[in-house]
Amino acid sequence: MREMINMVVVLTVLSAFSGGLLAAVRTGTKDRIEQQVLKFQKAPAIKQILSDVSNDPLQDRFKIMDKEQELTFFVGKHDGKPDSVTFETTGKGFGGDIGVMVGVNIESDQIIGICVTTHSETPGIGSRAKDDPKFAGQFAGMTMDKNFATKKDGGDIDAISGATVTSKGVSVAAIQAQDIYKRLKPEIQKQAALIK
Amino acid sequence: MGDYIVLAISCILINNILLAQFLGNCPFLGTSKKMETATGMGMAVVFVIVLAGIITWITERYLLKPLDIEFLRTLSFILIVASLVQFVEMFLKKSIPALYTGLGIFLPLITTNCAVLGVCLINIKEEYTFFEMLVSSFSYSVGYGFALVLFAGIRERIILARVPKSLQDTSIGLVTAGMIAICFFAFKGMV
Amino acid sequence: MAQSVVKEFTKGLWAEIPPFRLVLGLCPILAVTKSVENAVGMGLASAFVFVFSNLLVSMLRNIIPSKVRIAGYIIIIATFVTVVELVMQAYTYPLFLKLGIFIPLIVVNCIALGRAEAFACKNPPLASVADGLGMGIGYTLSLCVVGALRESLGNGTLMGHAVFGPDFQPFRFMLEAPGAFVCLGLVLCIMNLIGKK
Repeated sequence: MREMINMVVVLTVLSAFSGGLLAAVRTGTKDRIEQQVLKFQKAPAIKQILSDVSNDPLQDRFKIMDKEQELTFFVGKHDGKPDSVTFETTGKGFGGDIGVMVGVNIESDQIIGICVTTHSETPGIGSRAKDDPKFAGQFAGMTMDKNFATKKDGGDIDAISGATVTSKGVSVAAIQAQDIYKRLKPEIQKQAALIK
Repeated sequence: MGDYIVLAISCILINNILLAQFLGNCPFLGTSKKMETATGMGMAVVFVIVLAGIITWITERYLLKPLDIEFLRTLSFILIVASLVQFVEMFLKKSIPALYTGLGIFLPLITTNCAVLGVCLINIKEEYTFFEMLVSSFSYSVGYGFALVLFAGIRERIILARVPKSLQDTSIGLVTAGMIAICFFAFKGMV
Repeated sequence: MAQSVVKEFTKGLWAEIPPFRLVLGLCPILAVTKSVENAVGMGLASAFVFVFSNLLVSMLRNIIPSKVRIAGYIIIIATFVTVVELVMQAYTYPLFLKLGIFIPLIVVNCIALGRAEAFACKNPPLASVADGLGMGIGYTLSLCVVGALRESLGNGTLMGHAVFGPDFQPFRFMLEAPGAFVCLGLVLCIMNLIGKK
C-alpha cells in the first residue's frame, strides 16, 4: 500500500512540475512565436500582394470574429488612404491544407492579387500554384461578383495542368475569401477606416 | 464518399507512412526478418493506431483546444499511447488469450513506434474531421502493415542470397527498403 | 572520476555512435537529412533532450519507484521535447517548419528512452550528462554525414553553397525517399568495413 501511494505521489509531483515548467516556457515564448508566424508565413505573401503601399501592413492589422473563427486583416494604404486589405483562407489540396492570402481593394471590390502562403503539395507539380505567377495572376483584377471556381467546375479560372486538385484547393480558398468579404464588408470598411 | 477513397489510397500507397514519411523504421527493420512476426506486428499496429487515433483526436478536440493548452499535446499524447498500450496488453491477456499470444510480444514495442504518435499528430495537423481521422488512421496503419509484410517477404529470400559481409543485416535491409520505396514512388501519379 | 566521465562522453562519438552502431533512432536520420542545415538542427535539438533527460533521470533515480519508472522517464523526456519545440518555434521558425512533426517525435526516439533506461538510471548525474552529451553529439555527427552526402550529391550544394561547380548534374534520387534508405544502407556498410580492421 505504501508503495502504491509512493508511486502515485511521485508521478503526480513529476507531472505537476513538468506542467508548471511548460506553462512558464509557453508564456515566455508566446508573443515571439506569434510574431515569427507572421514574419515567415504571412509577410512574404502580404508584401507580394501589397507591393506598392506606403505603410507596413504587418503593423496595421485588425481582427474580426467570424462565426467561431478569428480572422486577421492586414491593411495597405495608397497615398495615405487605407483602401486595401489582405486576409488568409484555406482550401484542401492534395497533400493537406493550402493557405491562400487574398488581397482586396475595398473601394472597387477588386481582387488585387492572391498568393499561396503554406502548402505541402508535390514539388514541381502542385507547388506551381505558389511558384508560377501565371496561375495566381488570373485572380488579379477580378471583381467580387465573378465565379472563382476552376473552368471544370463552371468558373473562370484555368487550372494548372496536371495539378487539378491543387488548383481546386486554391480556388476554393478564393471562393471562401469572397464569401467572407461579402459578409463582413461593412465591418471591414469600418475597421480599416480607423487605421491611421 | 469519393473523398474518403482518395484519402485512403493516398494514405496507404502515396504517402505510405513507412516509405514516404519515414515513421516507424526501428521496428520495421527489427521485426521484418520473418513473415510471421511481420504479420503479427502489422496487425498490432493497425489495432493500436486506430484506437490511439480516436482517443487523441477526442482529447485534442474536447480537452486541449477548449482549454487552450495545446502546448501540452506532445506530453499528453505520448502518455495516452503508453497507457493505451499497457491497457490493451492487460485486456488481451485476460479476455482474448488467443489474440494475446499472437500480438502480445509486439505490444510493448509499439509505445516507441513513432508511427503511432506520428499518425496521431498528422491527424491533428491536417485538421481532419472525425471520419477523416478514422479513415486516415486505418489506412496509414494498413499501409504500414502492407509495407512490412512485403519487406519481410523479400528479406526471407535475402537470407538465401550471398550478401557481402559488410552489407549484411541492417545494411542490406535499408538498401532493400530503398528499392521498395522506388516501387511505391510509382503510385505518386495516381490521384 | 574525470577519466570515466571522458570515457562515457567519447564512447558516443565512435564506439557506440547512434544510429550506426546502436541501430536506434532511424526515423529522423532518414527523414530530415535532405540538407546539412536540417540535420544539424535536428541533431542539436535531440542532443538537448538527451542531456537534460539523462540529468533529471539520474538525479531522480532513487526517488522514482521502479514499477512506474518508464512512465516517469516518458514524462521527463516529453517535457524537454516540448521545451525544445516551443523555443525552436520562437527563435528558429523556418527550421521548425522544415523539421515538422519530427520535433515532437523526438519523444519516441528510442535513443532518449534507451539511454535513460540503460545508463542514466544506474549512474550519477555527471556521468549521465557526459553520456547524453556524447550520444547527442554522436547523433548530430551521424545526421550531418548523411545530410552532407545527400545534399551534396542530390543538390550539388553544402550548407547552401555550390560544391561541384556549374557543370554538375544533381543526382535528384538522393533527395527523394528511396535515396534516403539506400544512402543510409551504404553508410552503414562503410562503417562495417572500417570497423572490421
